[in-house]
Amino acid sequence: MLEIKNLHAVVEGEDIEILKGVNLKVNAGEIHAIMGPNGSGKSTLSKVVSGHPEYEITEGEILFNGENITEMDADERAHLGLFMAFQYPVEVPGITNKTLLREAYNTIARANDREELDPLEFEDYIESKLDVIDMKHEFLSRSINTGFSGGEKKKNEIFQMAVLNPKLSFLDETDSGLDIDALKVVSDGVNRIANEENAIVMITHYQRLLNYIEPQFVHIMMDGKIIKSGDISLAEELEANGYETLQKELSLNGEAQ
Amino acid sequence: MSEVINKATILDYIGSDIRSDATSVAIRAINMRGRDVIENVAFPTRKDEDWRFIDLKSITKNTFVSVEEANTAGHGDLSSHFLPEALNTRLVFVNGVFNKELSSISDLPNHVIVGNLSEYGEHDAVKEHLGTITNYEDDVFAPFNDAAFNDAAFIYLPEETSVEAPIHILNIFTDAEQAFYATPRLLFVGEMYSKATIIEEHIGLADNVYLNVPVTEFKLFAGAHVHHARIQRDSKKASHVSRPIAMLDRNAEYHSYTICLGAKLFRNEPRVIQNATEVDFTVDGLVLIDGDQIADTHSIMDHRFAHGNSHQLHKVVVNDKAHSIFNGKIFVAKDAQKIDSFQENRNLLLSEEGKVNTKPQLEIFADDVRCSHGATIGHLNDEEVFYLHSRGLTEQKSRELLVYAFALESVESMEVESVEKLLLNEVIKYTTRD
Repeated sequence: MLEIKNLHAVVEGEDIEILKGVNLKVNAGEIHAIMGPNGSGKSTLSKVVSGHPEYEITEGEILFNGENITEMDADERAHLGLFMAFQYPVEVPGITNKTLLREAYNTIARANDREELDPLEFEDYIESKLDVIDMKHEFLSRSINTGFSGGEKKKNEIFQMAVLNPKLSFLDETDSGLDIDALKVVSDGVNRIANEENAIVMITHYQRLLNYIEPQFVHIMMDGKIIKSGDISLAEELEANGYETLQKELSLNGEAQ
Repeated sequence: MSEVINKATILDYIGSDIRSDATSVAIRAINMRGRDVIENVAFPTRKDEDWRFIDLKSITKNTFVSVEEANTAGHGDLSSHFLPEALNTRLVFVNGVFNKELSSISDLPNHVIVGNLSEYGEHDAVKEHLGTITNYEDDVFAPFNDAAFNDAAFIYLPEETSVEAPIHILNIFTDAEQAFYATPRLLFVGEMYSKATIIEEHIGLADNVYLNVPVTEFKLFAGAHVHHARIQRDSKKASHVSRPIAMLDRNAEYHSYTICLGAKLFRNEPRVIQNATEVDFTVDGLVLIDGDQIADTHSIMDHRFAHGNSHQLHKVVVNDKAHSIFNGKIFVAKDAQKIDSFQENRNLLLSEEGKVNTKPQLEIFADDVRCSHGATIGHLNDEEVFYLHSRGLTEQKSRELLVYAFALESVESMEVESVEKLLLNEVIKYTTRD
């Protein structure tokens, strides 16, 4: 579904390279976790994949279902079925959740020659998704993230994911700042959305999230590259020994420069 | 008063004799008073502190004649401008002249007056209050209105009377062969514990040059509650210089909202005077301008007695080469303790060439008050744009939605559904143009 080949990226207008040759392949039905210390480039990776204008791709390509999306605008990527749950969802006073989601849902439907939903149909549809994140009806009429608690903002990202039903979702540190109750709700939501048709990439600093959403693949990212991939045991090893031990071990083996 | 020594007066831009045939003695007295001032006070220039940012060319390069001499065009069917909530509480003025046929005032409680002021010259409230509240130092515009007006809206609410339906004062301006001046006027007197909502609208039907100089006077006695919306949709070539003023007695509440959409040049000077303790008032504004429009708000919130709440949210969106000016004064007199006043001016710049001047001005002489102010000027937030964009909306649509959201807050204060709808449409028109 997603294939990232030798991806290099810099901050637009600067020449400091943040991604230094990332390779990643994600198939339908899979859940991946990308772990790494602060500054390793994992959040940048999710932004670059979603089409954030702050970054410029200098080398490599991103293929989505075989189509090269490297140069595509963020909205076109969304139309193809890409979704990013933001690490810091912005507050947008004055636009309700419902307004944004109806606009987004119908725009995506139009782009894919699917039937748009009229306001009443959409109301029923969106209503049916509320229990994914255990939210009440009022949630729909609130301005996007405005005055939301940290947990509510993250729940809102998962809610949007449930409504837009993307093929591939990047969850950028969705677990950060969540208390245990909110973490359970959010994880439960993600697990309900995940199926054989879609794929999920979780970006996280901590292993804790993986106790609730179990990935088949775990990747370790450091210094702009994925330096090691494995299964869940890699995360457990990391939790026990920390990034530094891993880094040392890898450089001893000559696996990282 | 600055003496005129070889300086221009407003009369230099007026091409007709100003009429002086008002039948009402009260109006004639005000006409004469105004006449005396405008002959002797210099027209403002950029050397005057309060006028230094504004370009008055769209007035000074023209000569405005009276409506009678301007060969005005007809107004056609105006029913689309009538508010369904105010079908029988409406006064219509066409180019400043009262139009009885288009007005409808059949739905009023006993003893409430909504009518043409020139027919109520002998009413005690007219004799007592007309022209007594407006007091703009060295001003030529309110005196020009004084000098030239005859027809005017008069609203009178007796004690403990509430008018349920909004009262719609519709000022229509038609096309004309020559540039003309108009001086709409509104006198509102609300006796103790009266209550009303006033929608004052200015609509230019064509794209012609005219000078609109309205004066509105609101006198609220103790406990009176008034909601006053002013919607300026003048022709994009018109100049509009407004003097809305309100005087509040004890426990009165006055909430005003000015929406600026039209006119080439808009200068608005709202003033609210706290004339007794314990009042509550609002002086909100929403300005949506583009092209080469200029919108200038010079407001005064004048706290003269203790215990008052007041707030002002002035929101501005500027596109193209448009220019917004805001000067918000908050005065608190020496003994006016326990005043809680808040002012905020938020400016959204959508273009590189747009211009914003903003100046909050607090003059506080009491020591136990809470007054705050803030002004921001910014572009759309890139992260907000990207957030919407990443959800599948085009970048253009994301921007439109954010401008719409910025303006929305002010529109939602309207309290009259059809007005809210009308303004939402105007906001959408503004954000989705071209």
